[in-house]
Amino acid sequence: MYQIPREEWYDLTRSTNWTYSYVSEEEMFPEEMSGSRGIPIEAWETYDEPYKVTYPEYVSIQREKDSGAYSVKAALERDAYVDRADPGWISTMIAHYGAIAVNEYAASLAEARMARFSKAPGNRNMATFGTLDENRHGQIQLFFPHANIKRSRQWDWAHKAMHTNDWAAIAARSFFDDIMLSRDAIAVSIMLTFGFETGFTNMQFLGLAADASEAGDHTFASLISSVQTDEARHAQQGGPSLKILIENGQKEEAQKLVDVSIWRAWKLFSVLTGPIMDYYTPLEHRSQSFKEFMVEWIIVQFERQLADLGLDAPWFWEDLTKDLDVTHHGMHLGVWYWRPTVWWNPAAGASPEDREWLEEKYPGWNKTWGKCWDVITENLNNGREDLTLPETLPYVCNMCQLPIVGTPGEGWNVRDYPLEHEGRLYHFGSEADRWCFEQDPERYKEHQNLIDRFLSGQVQPADLPGTLAYMNLGPGEMGKDAHDYAWAAAFKKQVSAA
Amino acid sequence: MAAFPINSNFEGDFVMQLISVDTEDTMDQVAEKCAYHSVGRRVAAQPEKVMRVRLHNTTENYPRDMTVSDAGWRPTETLDIIFADS
Repeated sequence: MYQIPREEWYDLTRSTNWTYSYVSEEEMFPEEMSGSRGIPIEAWETYDEPYKVTYPEYVSIQREKDSGAYSVKAALERDAYVDRADPGWISTMIAHYGAIAVNEYAASLAEARMARFSKAPGNRNMATFGTLDENRHGQIQLFFPHANIKRSRQWDWAHKAMHTNDWAAIAARSFFDDIMLSRDAIAVSIMLTFGFETGFTNMQFLGLAADASEAGDHTFASLISSVQTDEARHAQQGGPSLKILIENGQKEEAQKLVDVSIWRAWKLFSVLTGPIMDYYTPLEHRSQSFKEFMVEWIIVQFERQLADLGLDAPWFWEDLTKDLDVTHHGMHLGVWYWRPTVWWNPAAGASPEDREWLEEKYPGWNKTWGKCWDVITENLNNGREDLTLPETLPYVCNMCQLPIVGTPGEGWNVRDYPLEHEGRLYHFGSEADRWCFEQDPERYKEHQNLIDRFLSGQVQPADLPGTLAYMNLGPGEMGKDAHDYAWAAAFKKQVSAA
Repeated sequence: MAAFPINSNFEGDFVMQLISVDTEDTMDQVAEKCAYHSVGRRVAAQPEKVMRVRLHNTTENYPRDMTVSDAGWRPTETLDIIFADS
């Protein structure tokens, strides 16, 4: 059968808007869902996505990707890699699946919002594929960990985490609800695909894929690469939206959407990816430090992309760059110290060799973060594990929902950025977190962070066991040290050898 | 006598923590309660020093015998707990 060549029909179909006669444009595209911001529909019709694909091409490529990843999984399952992998790497996978898998389904809803409500036909076309992408990512990242439930209940948190009040789940939901589920189609295209996916999923997925290959985990590496190739395509929806906003006098609005999403994404990745790259991945398998990765993939690349679009670097760029030496070390120490509150087993990554590497990558680490780890190590080696476990809650930020952290030890610099708004005292972990709140207090002011919930009596009994129950953490699920403190014992051996 | 929540920022530590104090506690007692969750856990003890309390990001310490109810704090007020010579 004769088929019309692709180039003769593609541009016409991908840019077609239909003419409606039974409803008005406002009824067809309600502003709160479409977010056209007063820009006429003719301007949205100029939306030109850089990556173009047809439905038959899409199906064929996706089928190949799925069969590749599922074949690797099936073949290697008999190899039982998970049974002999380093516990730090197992924790990486369990943390990743819990934080990401179900949010992929949420991303599918966000893509569907663009597919239905964007006034740009090209955006709707791309987002239709994006909806299918994210659905696939949800399925594959639930299916792969499911095979390991027989090994530990923690693997079940791939599905469970986002349905609980675990602090990490609250933080992830707060961010994803903000940028994906409670925004109009154009804001989603910018905040989800440009602010978040262009930079940060690149980092989570490319960095993790590299580390997975190094660690010999070819199942996880193939899964992650299969997801990343979709991200690289559908992440390109934000650029054309930004271009249209800027051309139509809305640069300030465009910049604000970009800045809020980049900051919030950074904070989430400082707790998720930072500890994984610098502490959980076994030393011999680390390809780059988290900071090196951030500089290459976020700082340099984003700056270039923003400049290409005619946007400025976010006002907090210098703060973010400085934070690359601070925030994720604090998030890691917090996760490790409050380990019963997470669904994975944090790897301390603080053995003598680890500390040497940390000092090399982050000069001054031993005088700052190392001071806290010194006390912890001594307690463990003196049989005082009890002093390495929490008896109260860390104070969490009212924007990112993560602990308020800063540099300890000799460089002590931990700061709160408070704000009193309509009689309520809010606490923020940075100037930029507070700035995000100030951009739209109506959006954020009712939200209760974990501390607010604790103080308002929602956590009963109001103590740490009550908090663990509130977070739905049962026996066999609460985190413990991934290596059973072997890293601390290594210091004892050093002392006796000397 | 009533429980009162504060946000403790302890010198040398890496994180702020929720601490429950009593409205009748003195500043020395507030410092003790904050120290329980930092010193010997992630911060080395400094037995030759005194722990003093001040409002976050200020330089003036509260008198050691001043009570919480007299300090006029808002619930969850952020306080710095500092090692001082006296």
